[in-house]
Amino acid sequence: MTKKSRTVLLISLAVFFVILLLALLFFRKKPARFEPELLNKADVSGATLTEFVKVKLFYFSETSIYLQPVYREIEVPEIREELYNKFIALLLAGDSGHITPVPEGVALRSLYYLKNKEMLVLDFNDRLSLSFPVGTTAELEFIYFMVDNLCYNFREIKKVKFLIGGNESKTLAGHIDLERPFYPNFNWLKNE
Amino acid sequence: MKKFIRTSTLFISILVLPHLLTSLAIDIRSFDHQGFTRIVFEADRSFTYTIQNRPGQMQVHLSDRADFRERTLAVQNSPLLDRVIHEIRGNKSIFTIFFKSDATVQKSFVLEKPFRVVFDFVKSEKPAALPASTPENPEKKPDPPQETQSAPSKPKPIETICIDPGHGGEDLGAIGKSKLQEKDVTLRISHKLKKLIESRTGLRVIMTRDKDSEVSLNTRASIANNQLAQMFISIHANSSFRKSAYGSETYFVSLKATDQESLELAQKENRNLEDPGETIKNDELKMILWNMAQTEYIRESSKLAEYIQNELNELLDTRNRGVKQAPFRVLMRTAMPAVLIETAFISNSREEKKLKSEEFLDKIAFAIYNGISKFIYYYNNILK
Repeated sequence: MTKKSRTVLLISLAVFFVILLLALLFFRKKPARFEPELLNKADVSGATLTEFVKVKLFYFSETSIYLQPVYREIEVPEIREELYNKFIALLLAGDSGHITPVPEGVALRSLYYLKNKEMLVLDFNDRLSLSFPVGTTAELEFIYFMVDNLCYNFREIKKVKFLIGGNESKTLAGHIDLERPFYPNFNWLKNE
Repeated sequence: MKKFIRTSTLFISILVLPHLLTSLAIDIRSFDHQGFTRIVFEADRSFTYTIQNRPGQMQVHLSDRADFRERTLAVQNSPLLDRVIHEIRGNKSIFTIFFKSDATVQKSFVLEKPFRVVFDFVKSEKPAALPASTPENPEKKPDPPQETQSAPSKPKPIETICIDPGHGGEDLGAIGKSKLQEKDVTLRISHKLKKLIESRTGLRVIMTRDKDSEVSLNTRASIANNQLAQMFISIHANSSFRKSAYGSETYFVSLKATDQESLELAQKENRNLEDPGETIKNDELKMILWNMAQTEYIRESSKLAEYIQNELNELLDTRNRGVKQAPFRVLMRTAMPAVLIETAFISNSREEKKLKSEEFLDKIAFAIYNGISKFIYYYNNILK
């Protein structure tokens, strides 16, 4: 093999590996998200069809540090924000046998979705900060319970920002910076 | 085989050559803020670069040849920087930034979309690298350190440690089933730790509070920065919605949040340039930089967390919950290696009982002290 063809071969190999690396980067595993399933259900008379969506909720349990999955169905409203509202109401209602990391009396005042920022803003009542059981783990449990559940079920939500009583709050209970939005951390989810 | 080589070469040429032949389209801009001057290199694609510091100037060597319209660019309204000169050597570009006075890079970072390399220059503390002063040009005293400059520019061996007992005053912290309060536990551990460090190492130890008083999170970070502490140890007791949760864990700040800060900073910077009517308020910009103070110390903070967590595992004989990252408000603003230790769960009855015992608190203090000692040995060795 001549020197010239050896050089060409070496360059070709180098380029092949670069292309392979780029392809691997391009096709790398993306963070898993749940694709809510749409279901059509007829009412008792069979006259009208109601659209439902099957969602996957995650709750804590005493036996595991991970959030455990539970399936639920929600009737699909016309306004998307109303679907988030129903979803959060389900989360806050809890599930028997599981732990809901939200203090008693906490309710959602309002929510809005900022499309350009792909961010959902949740505004909770003052009970959230007044009766929060101070502790780093408790704060993280609440934050990722909300953020992971929402981002996992709704692709369009990339991050979540929390407000308390309509205002930005520095922290929930003295630890985690609540002024910035939170991205999901699916390491909290059991099956991820 | 020959056919394969020929096809591959053609394929490569199509893919790579146009990219190689095109110069890097670059734009340089600068703006001055109270206390620092920012130079931004914006390019149409990413590039790599190296920096060479010389007396009175700094050179940025680019990996590519830049297509830059001017050879010399004056830096407007900056008390620190004079001009930027562009020269091409072979296929590479070199940008030399000339200083007006003693300047040094306080911070540099890369931003995406579009690709930018940002340098923040501040007045250097030591003017030794520049020519000696003459009667016409009397040597100026360096400005007093500002909030964003509180980090020492050259790392020194560790001399001062800041201990931060979590909560205090009306902020009780977590409360156990038998009413044990976190604020008391953290203060007791902190006093023990201070005593250990002072008696065994002779290092200076400061505390963000030494009695039952309420101190805000920002003030805690400010105390450590203003006292030029080189290590920040925040001590806490944990709590969970899961009553069975137990064990110890050590945190350092997560980078994801600070990436977001960088992005917001970039957006603000873009807005400012696109619309001259909209200016970044100095205070706002300072605040963003202040929020990012910890980013330079992430690696050291991670190492410090690792040393302390290893010692806690060894001495406490409890569950190892490991080293973790989260956006802690108190750690974000500290300009030094900083960790937050969750010693045990006050929400767990068994651990609450342990936290009441002086023997267990002594063990915790000793484990943290051991971790700190190992980190000091590691840190001081890197400086040699």
